[in-house]
Amino acid sequence: MVKTMNIKASGKNEVPFMEGLWSIPSSLDEKPQLIASKCKVCGEIFFPKKQICTYCMSRDLEVIKLSRKGKIYSITVVMQKPPGPWYRGLVPYAVGYVELPDGIRVETLFTGCEPDALEIGMEVELVIAKLYENEEGNNIMAHKFRPV
Amino acid sequence: MREVVIAGIGVTKFDLYDGEKAPLKESYDLGGEAIIEALEYAGMEWKDIQSAYIGSCYQGVGAGQQAIKEVGLTGIPIVNIENACSSGGSAFRLAYRDVAAGFCDVALAGGLEKMPRGLIQATSWREWERRLGFNVQPASYAMAAVRHMEEYGSTLEQFAKVTVKNRQNAVLNPKARFQKEVTIEEVFNSRMISKPLRLFNCCPLADGAAAAILCSKDKVNSNDRLVWVAATVLSSGVYGHERGGGSVNIKLPGRTERSSREAYEISGCGPEDMDIVQAYDTMSSYELVSIAELGLCKHEDAGPLLEKGYFDLDGKIPVNTDGGLIGRGHPLGATALAQIAEAFFQLRDEAGPRQVPGAKVGLCHSMGAGPSCTVTILKR
Repeated sequence: MVKTMNIKASGKNEVPFMEGLWSIPSSLDEKPQLIASKCKVCGEIFFPKKQICTYCMSRDLEVIKLSRKGKIYSITVVMQKPPGPWYRGLVPYAVGYVELPDGIRVETLFTGCEPDALEIGMEVELVIAKLYENEEGNNIMAHKFRPV
Repeated sequence: MREVVIAGIGVTKFDLYDGEKAPLKESYDLGGEAIIEALEYAGMEWKDIQSAYIGSCYQGVGAGQQAIKEVGLTGIPIVNIENACSSGGSAFRLAYRDVAAGFCDVALAGGLEKMPRGLIQATSWREWERRLGFNVQPASYAMAAVRHMEEYGSTLEQFAKVTVKNRQNAVLNPKARFQKEVTIEEVFNSRMISKPLRLFNCCPLADGAAAAILCSKDKVNSNDRLVWVAATVLSSGVYGHERGGGSVNIKLPGRTERSSREAYEISGCGPEDMDIVQAYDTMSSYELVSIAELGLCKHEDAGPLLEKGYFDLDGKIPVNTDGGLIGRGHPLGATALAQIAEAFFQLRDEAGPRQVPGAKVGLCHSMGAGPSCTVTILKR
């Protein structure tokens, strides 16, 4: 059984689509953050976490949490369902890269506005939002960015 | 290392061999056809081939053997190569190395593919990425296109003009899938795939095969218009260029820059020496990126030079003279060898209505998920 998050206003269980990608807030004041690795030798950052720095090949990495706000580096709107059974979210959907002040770009989905409204340079912040509802009626949740 | 020449090449028409649009054929049928055509071109028989490398991506186990068992059973080493869209170029490189190092005198490089239909089922994304819908090739290219527009001022009109150019070239190539030109308006009116790229910005699927026979100079039947392999280079992913984002701080040359610079060094030619170039154009927008990364011009000049006809068939450096992936179609395992075939025919002065007069040096560039990138330079 997958660990569930708090039961939210929607009245549905919220289940992360995958464990270990972001921190689950333990109180209302806390906000979710992406969990990354930072190389203690060269300072390069990796999302998701890694065991080995693929830049300097050091194995001395520490777990860090990434900044919650960043800027859209590139953006597209996908007009059809991707191949295979994996993606079960809305179509069309926006995919982009968000550049975070930590020195890393992450590929991400978006929420909080129409896909077409997103533009390069726009300030966005991390939220945990619904990806789709599964057969048991649980909301499957994913990290997404939305306009600030 | 010995010098290596190409004795012969065979290419099937790239088409949809589904029994409706074209006769029903499987990848092994197509592979066999290409190999026999290459042997006939070279004036050789299968028993002359001492080693074979066959590229494919979706044909399952032993795809090369399946094709070759209809051609001849001589017990030679056959190795199947899956290196995404660089499979054919990777096979070519290994055949080259066999001959150059003297392991054998005559080797065959092939590529064959009967493509699954629809968007490519790329397994090169992690499962969590697939669950987020990142596994859409045109989306990755769309984001690269948007960056090229932002940083270098490329325009959607320029991307459309790449399609128009390559489809024009394809009409002159009877082996290309598309035999009809398109207009800029038709590109802009085609279905949106991943904003801002539309259907006609994307290369189409196709089934097909190609095969090349590489040998030492003493094995070739004629010294007339001999085509040499001046360099053939393969590289893989470089830190800071990963799909899916990654470092903002580290700036290293990417795989196309790596492969091409090494190929220029080995061949003693520079980008200015190229008479023809087959640049990877899986999306029309990406042809401009490829052209710049190969060092043919600066990124910001790629679009404007294209508009001036610089890369047309009668331009300064004709690019994708056979229609490229956009006009010829893209059977993954065969594509890179079809590029090499086109360069070979151009240097042999056998490219018919699309012949670039006096072409002496040609470059072929293919990139694949993985990632990988092959660059091959041929000289006459």
